[in-house]
Amino acid sequence: MGGRRVFVVDYGMGNMRSVLNAFRYLGCEAEATDDPLVVASAPCLVLPGVGSFRKAMETIRSKHLDRAILESVLERGTCLLGICLGMQLLFDFGTEDGGAEGLGLLGGVVERFPAEKMNGLKIPHVGFDSVDFSRREGLFEEMPEDAVFYFVHSYRASPIESGDCSEGICVYGEPFLAAVQRENICGAQFHPEKSQSNGLLLLRNFLRMSERC
Amino acid sequence: MLKKRIIFTLLYDGGSFILSRNFRLQRVGSLDWLKRNYVFSRITLAIDELIVLDVSKGERNRGAFAECLAALTEECFIPIAAGGGVRSAEDAGRLFASGADKIVVNTALFTLPEEVRKIVSLYGGQAVIASLDAKRSGEVYEIRTENGERLVDGSLAESVRMALSLGVGEIYLYSIDRDGTGQGLDMEMLDFLPPDMPVPLILTGGVGKSPHFLEGLRDSRVDAVATANLFNFVCDGLCRAREELLAEGVDLPCWDGETTESLRNLFKGAN
Repeated sequence: MGGRRVFVVDYGMGNMRSVLNAFRYLGCEAEATDDPLVVASAPCLVLPGVGSFRKAMETIRSKHLDRAILESVLERGTCLLGICLGMQLLFDFGTEDGGAEGLGLLGGVVERFPAEKMNGLKIPHVGFDSVDFSRREGLFEEMPEDAVFYFVHSYRASPIESGDCSEGICVYGEPFLAAVQRENICGAQFHPEKSQSNGLLLLRNFLRMSERC
Repeated sequence: MLKKRIIFTLLYDGGSFILSRNFRLQRVGSLDWLKRNYVFSRITLAIDELIVLDVSKGERNRGAFAECLAALTEECFIPIAAGGGVRSAEDAGRLFASGADKIVVNTALFTLPEEVRKIVSLYGGQAVIASLDAKRSGEVYEIRTENGERLVDGSLAESVRMALSLGVGEIYLYSIDRDGTGQGLDMEMLDFLPPDMPVPLILTGGVGKSPHFLEGLRDSRVDAVATANLFNFVCDGLCRAREELLAEGVDLPCWDGETTESLRNLFKGAN
């Protein structure tokens, strides 16, 4: 009995149930937590979230989860996966809702899709869309060609284009960062827990990475 | 490019799942029955979205429906919408907490528009689907609510515009006439919609076999086609329909059911 332990950071924003369900399907013991002590010592962390960047950071700071996440990821080398808003929070700054500083684990700014470059495409970007991966290793091992994932978002980060990052790029008006991995820091703008086989493969890869952390 | 979608709609009535034929509902079975007879996880592998609607008449047991929804979502890795009798932000919140990604509103669009606005402002328009039940009447379509019993004033286009003005993110357009017939979608209905729809359209009612999906999904005005007919798509019916559509060049996501199966409990016993 038992299984790999995964802690999903619960700061009250987003569909915790479906993220927990996906990890449980993979055979993990997945638990939600808002305890900074648990987060700081977790073997493997997931940061989900839906809603406003600024509100999310305010809540995370008020619960002292920001320092716990940074300690876990930077000092203990814990693998972290940010999903949707959770991936956006990994960046330096988000302009949503008046703007706020993020966790600063990845360099860059999360901004709204630029209306002038959308050629009539609707915002938010909602639905299944294709992602191209720069390298099929680590988080993106065995990703199929033309892999499709489920997106729901109005804000996005731009491609980082740095040698130490693996990236998944989606084109919606212009290319944006759909997924990223730099060492133990992972993010998915899409919802792997809502993307059938492709999403479950990405979560498997994340769990395999965390075995090695 | 966003992909087109195949949606399965499950109808729930007081603890059982049912089939509908012009709103005359036939009881089919419980959740256990569904899982036993239809290998529910196989159905979800062949679709892109699941809609679960509580169509119980009279007093609804909202708690039991929410529990059933939560059980359904356990092994379902696609977006899930739920509705039926949603009258308030509280009703919507209960369904979101039970695993729904989107909420379906119907009667409340007309009777409690402020509550719909409130749900939109709390959860975002992308999380709210307006369901409109249309019935042909001579040369036009009329909209009905409360399981087809109450006629709404105005045209189909006017009802769609009204729903859009509340901020909903999707329209689920259902043909009362075609429902349960398996004779194909009512494509003529599309000509009665406002031109340049700003949100995705889900067309439903009448799908009996895979060419019906093809006819709907080939139309540029249609983003998704939904079917609620369990019997037409027993066992591998939906999987086969999906393969045929992909072979015809319909731009659907490709899912790999074998991969999904092979990942089950992969990390069980691992530390």
